[in-house]
Amino acid sequence: MIKSVLIFNQLGKPRLIKFYEQIGTTQQQEILREIHALVAKRPDTQCNFLEGCQSMGSSSSDSSHRIIYRHYATLYFVFVVDSSESELGILDLIQVFVEALDRVFENVCELDLIFHFDEIHYILMEVVEAGMVIETNLTEISRAVNEAKQQIKPASEHSRL
Amino acid sequence: MFEKSLTDLIQGLRANKRNEADYIQKSLEEIQSEIQQSDMHCKSTAIDKLNYLHMLGYDTNWANFNAVEVMASPRFGEKRKGYLAAAQSFHQETDVLMLATNLIRKDLASANAMEVSVALDGLAQVATPELATDLFDDAMAVLGHSRPFIRKKALVCLYRLVLKHPEGLHALAPLLRERLDDPDPSVVSSAVSVICELARTNPRNYLPLAPKLYQLMNSSTNNWMLIKIVKLFASLTPIEPRLAKKLHGPLSQLICSTSAMSLLYECIHTAVVGDIIGVPLPVTDSVGREIDFAELCARKLVLFYESADHNLRYVGLVTLAQLQARRPELVVNQYETVLKCLDDADLSIRMRALSVISGMATRRTLDRTVKKLMSQLILSNTIKLQPSSSLPSTSNTEYSGKYNSETADSDLFALATSATGASLISARGSIVQSRQLAVAGGPGPADSPEYRLLVVEAIVDMCARQSYANLSNFEWYVAVLVDLVYTAGVDVGQLLGERLLDVTVRVRQVREFSVRLMRQLLSDCQLVSRASAGGSAAKVLCTAAYIMGEYCPLLPASSEDVAMLLPSCLSSLDGEQQATFVQAAIKAYTNWLRDVAGYWNTEVWELVRAVTASTMAQLSDLLATRTGGDDDGAASEFATELPLQVSSRLRHFVEITKAVSVATSNPSDNAPQLCLELHELFTAYELNPVSIAAQSKVPLPEGLDLDSPIGGPIPDTEHIVFPPPPPVSVHSESRRRGSQSSGGRRQRKGHKNEAFYLDDGRDSHRLADLPDVDDIPV
Repeated sequence: MIKSVLIFNQLGKPRLIKFYEQIGTTQQQEILREIHALVAKRPDTQCNFLEGCQSMGSSSSDSSHRIIYRHYATLYFVFVVDSSESELGILDLIQVFVEALDRVFENVCELDLIFHFDEIHYILMEVVEAGMVIETNLTEISRAVNEAKQQIKPASEHSRL
Repeated sequence: MFEKSLTDLIQGLRANKRNEADYIQKSLEEIQSEIQQSDMHCKSTAIDKLNYLHMLGYDTNWANFNAVEVMASPRFGEKRKGYLAAAQSFHQETDVLMLATNLIRKDLASANAMEVSVALDGLAQVATPELATDLFDDAMAVLGHSRPFIRKKALVCLYRLVLKHPEGLHALAPLLRERLDDPDPSVVSSAVSVICELARTNPRNYLPLAPKLYQLMNSSTNNWMLIKIVKLFASLTPIEPRLAKKLHGPLSQLICSTSAMSLLYECIHTAVVGDIIGVPLPVTDSVGREIDFAELCARKLVLFYESADHNLRYVGLVTLAQLQARRPELVVNQYETVLKCLDDADLSIRMRALSVISGMATRRTLDRTVKKLMSQLILSNTIKLQPSSSLPSTSNTEYSGKYNSETADSDLFALATSATGASLISARGSIVQSRQLAVAGGPGPADSPEYRLLVVEAIVDMCARQSYANLSNFEWYVAVLVDLVYTAGVDVGQLLGERLLDVTVRVRQVREFSVRLMRQLLSDCQLVSRASAGGSAAKVLCTAAYIMGEYCPLLPASSEDVAMLLPSCLSSLDGEQQATFVQAAIKAYTNWLRDVAGYWNTEVWELVRAVTASTMAQLSDLLATRTGGDDDGAASEFATELPLQVSSRLRHFVEITKAVSVATSNPSDNAPQLCLELHELFTAYELNPVSIAAQSKVPLPEGLDLDSPIGGPIPDTEHIVFPPPPPVSVHSESRRRGSQSSGGRRQRKGHKNEAFYLDDGRDSHRLADLPDVDDIPV
């Protein structure tokens, strides 16, 4: 199961935080800070699996939490998963997610994530629901996102008086 | 209508970077008023903004009711904002959830697939036991939806509901099985995911699905699903060994043919963890040769941990550790490669390599491994090691060289056997210098406290494994432990102390060496001053003191031993540690006296008197100390007495010194008998350590019945019939006066009959004489 998905920039500012376990806001921010501190130290030549994070559990690979991240330009995409997920599989999944963002936004950059933060959530919802992966096929994901967009457009024309 | 939209909020935040907190406060106030408006669009924009602020760490629980209102909006765009808010801030006790039941039910039954999907997602995240029970059937109905897009989401939602409402599993299980045959691959994949999650808690229940999953594994091309199935089999094979034989074929097929590294890795991992490599059937590899399956896995695994890609290396090492635990012979020849990985700049890879290598420790490889790990601890860039100031820092390049060079022979390496006792402690002067030659720059992986702790634990574990099976030289081991005291940089004092004690007590031959090193530790002023701050140094020194005291006869005694064992920082240690020090000091003192009595003359007599006097002075200082008192020593109301075990030992010591002082009050030609014999207090019998289980092994003697009462039943004291009053006589009166002193008459009579009181012949005789209570004139 995926425990959490975090996207933040190099300074640690969150662009998306999603926890699939119900934990309090302060604890969420603490986890975010700790993961950022650990991830920002690692150069790109090192592997994408993080150990040594204390607020989410012990650092050995037998524990239930693994932190898998990828660094794209100025952003870090972090997935916190438990031992039922394949590490290399999750790395591929992050790639799929980013490609989906790319398809929806056309050459997505950090600014898109900043201003359309709710849409990022909805795209993520098409890939991961309640911690389980429901779709890994890019075509399907973008089709679903577009279908949702169709529903919004006519609605927004009504809402403006 | 001029409310700020989400975009406006974000832009405003970016423009107000300097006074962000104020801007957010203002926005929160605006949101609060907007959210009270009846216009749904206004409300939903407010909720949208709150969702954003939640990401920045602001609590949005106060708007829970409004979130539910927005969830009820007929417009999809607004509805999903409400659901997002719910998923973010609702928790199990949120009371407004009850209001949402009907509206979620409506959404689940909606004709609009988008509404259904958003409701499924939201429900999956906020489900509580009540909500799950109420909406379970509605969610089950959605499983039959015409669109696969909805079916796959319904499966995951139902899984989450089942977690809160376990009774639903009975109804769900057959439908889940049905979905495995669904025409749409995404739905099948979701079903497999759900089954995998359910099987983690209860694999046996899902064993019947194994044939279907096996079939899917052979026919599917969806890598994600294949990975899930393969991982699931890893948890099923331990409970159904026949499955291993069946999986043997397809797995080896997948391993040889797949191009996806992730799938290959999972297959190898499953083969190792599910013990499929234990199946003795050979497989044909990609070039058609027949090899053992375990061999094939080991060979393919090499691709991973020798790869240039760090990620592959990492996962390769993870599986290598698993393989090492199950089939060490396959991994033994990889020692060099793993040793290299230990030097990797990447902390994650180092940690994995550490776990593999500590499993690989054998007699031959042990000191190379330990040497490497120690050099990592020492050559850290930011942890400052304390050079010893008490010993002359003779530059001992030989020793530091042995740490650094890879080619040094693998024999005794550390301090240890040098006759002068010059050791790492003095060699460290040169090591500190060589550290400057080490990699300059920022903190490296060796600076991470977690890593250092793991390294220390690994070193200790490797050496102590199976009652020191790997060790050939115990002195070397003791030296390593002492080195670790200085180089660890983390709080491992307790561990090191225990290990030192263990090896010293168990291994007789190493005791002398150990005591010598302990004396060095205790005479190191810097270390001792660090101990006064408490923490790990104090624990190690406590053990050192105990060892010194217990085995001091093994070394030539010195009068400084006593002073060393009563350091000035003593009063700042905790009670038990203080007691250990004092006890050790007594032993050292008596030992020294006995030693010195061997060559008694006037100078020795003066020395004895001097040492005794100074010790007495120290002791009276310590006795006068109150923990927690004011600085000027006045007993404040918060000062507490010295702990009992400390003060009692101190008093013993004072008595001993007084006795010696009296015995040596006059100069004599021969040593006073007292000096020679005092040490007998501690050496009369050798006490060996007793194992924890020893008591239970003592056989009970024949005929011992611990359950029967010792005496007769204890009478109820109210029903004692007092004996008739005896004739009053002079004798009995005087005896009576004597017997009035303790207890009451009735109590005495009660004791006579009581099971656990020893019958003293005197008493029974007297009791009969005692006049009765009724005789007392009122």
